[in-house]
Amino acid sequence: MKFVAPVFEVSNLKFEISNQKILDSISLKIFTGEYDAVIGPNGGGKTTLIRMLLGLQVPTSGNIEIFGQDIKKFQGWHKIGYVPQRATLVDTSFPATVLDVVLMGRASKRGFFKRYNKEDKDAAYSAMRQMDVIDLSQKMIGSLSGGQRQRVMIARALASNPSVLILDEPNTGVDKNSQHLFYALLRDLNKNNNLTILFITHDVGVIVDDIDRVFTVNRSLSTCNNPKEAISCKDISKLYAISAHLLHNHHGH
Amino acid sequence: MFHYEFMQNALIAGFIIAILASLSGSFIVLKRYSLMTETLAHSSLVGVAIGILTGFSTLWMAVIVSILSAWLIEYLRGSFNLYSDAILAIFLSGSLALAIIMVSLSGAFNSSLFSYLFGSILAVSNHDLIIMGIFGFVAMILLIGFSKELLFLVYDEEVAKTSGIKVKWLNYLLITIVAVTVALSIRIVGVFLIAALMVIPTIAALQFGYGFLKTVMLALLFACLSVFIGMVLSYMFSLPSGAAIVMCVIIIFIISLIINK
Repeated sequence: MKFVAPVFEVSNLKFEISNQKILDSISLKIFTGEYDAVIGPNGGGKTTLIRMLLGLQVPTSGNIEIFGQDIKKFQGWHKIGYVPQRATLVDTSFPATVLDVVLMGRASKRGFFKRYNKEDKDAAYSAMRQMDVIDLSQKMIGSLSGGQRQRVMIARALASNPSVLILDEPNTGVDKNSQHLFYALLRDLNKNNNLTILFITHDVGVIVDDIDRVFTVNRSLSTCNNPKEAISCKDISKLYAISAHLLHNHHGH
Repeated sequence: MFHYEFMQNALIAGFIIAILASLSGSFIVLKRYSLMTETLAHSSLVGVAIGILTGFSTLWMAVIVSILSAWLIEYLRGSFNLYSDAILAIFLSGSLALAIIMVSLSGAFNSSLFSYLFGSILAVSNHDLIIMGIFGFVAMILLIGFSKELLFLVYDEEVAKTSGIKVKWLNYLLITIVAVTVALSIRIVGVFLIAALMVIPTIAALQFGYGFLKTVMLALLFACLSVFIGMVLSYMFSLPSGAAIVMCVIIIFIISLIINK
């Protein structure tokens, strides 16, 4: 069996703002080693759902468990790497090198009043090597292209050796030609590092054919067990009213 | 001039402030919280007014009122759906109005008030210097001790939070240090001018495009240089020290802009 322990277990989640339902009756389980996508139209609530999984927003009702622990009591946040949507839109004059930024991923692990040690630097360099940004380590973060910055943000998330990687619209600012390579890289991380990956996209066209499951979020949630099923899902056709196509991803081909 | 005790006190106090203002100012500027320093400076003036009215130490009162205002502002920003710059604007003018009323009631509109507004090298007593030394030392240790967490906080607060850093606690720590720095600075730099010493050295250092540590070191150098030259000019031409210091820091900023054009 590939799937053993649930990373996230969400039951009956509801989120309202001013009595307006943003999310309703959301229940899902995500297991170790999965490579899943969350899709849905803009404003459908997918970012809200992810933000609740990360503890950045509190649901109106319902439960979230992370590695079997109630989110309110969960302490192992360093196990979860998060790459936000605006990763490519940072302040260009921010005085930090790529290494400074990747080391931030180690800050909570090292603890207060302690400087980064050799172990932290090794982890940062290893993450930069994995994301192919090692040559940029002394460059200023603001001088990088959108795609490079995206890889640096993933390196920062990887530097803490997480078990889970959550990416919000990882293609923002990445040119279309790099998307195949980018998804191949995510798949490699998933397979080689046994990293559970969950990414959001509003672009159905980028769903690759080797992801495990697709969650479609548009106030409520439906789950499709493979992307082909997702594309033929009535729900998706209803959501987008378009005929979506698969973007075939054959790991670098 | 350096053999006078008042000048020695003023210089020691000036360097304490330069170090604190540039270190905490770096985080504040990068967090886009610059207006906070101006607001807390005005709140400190309420503390000064309370000190004048009641006869308690004006410096102590300034520190206490500044910290309480910082906490209240942070609480309001976190708890209510208000525009954060609007909250600062309310505190900025509200505290000044309150301070002016209190000072008017006490009948203390005089030259001593003038020194709180624009700074004076004659104003630092030995007692002030001890308070500044203690608070300054603690604040500096905390800033250095938490620098890697603070850098993450100002770069990306949400990701810092999801990685397990206690961002709420750190935010309170940072604004408390800023509140103390602002309040301690009013003797030398004055209420109306301290924001410049906290913000401009960092802005000038940013022009050079270095990494974080070098940028902070450069900001520190600019702040110390401005304080030293400003105080010497203040002594030589009998100028309010705050005004002289701020003019120096602005000249450094202009030079930084030209060099890095």
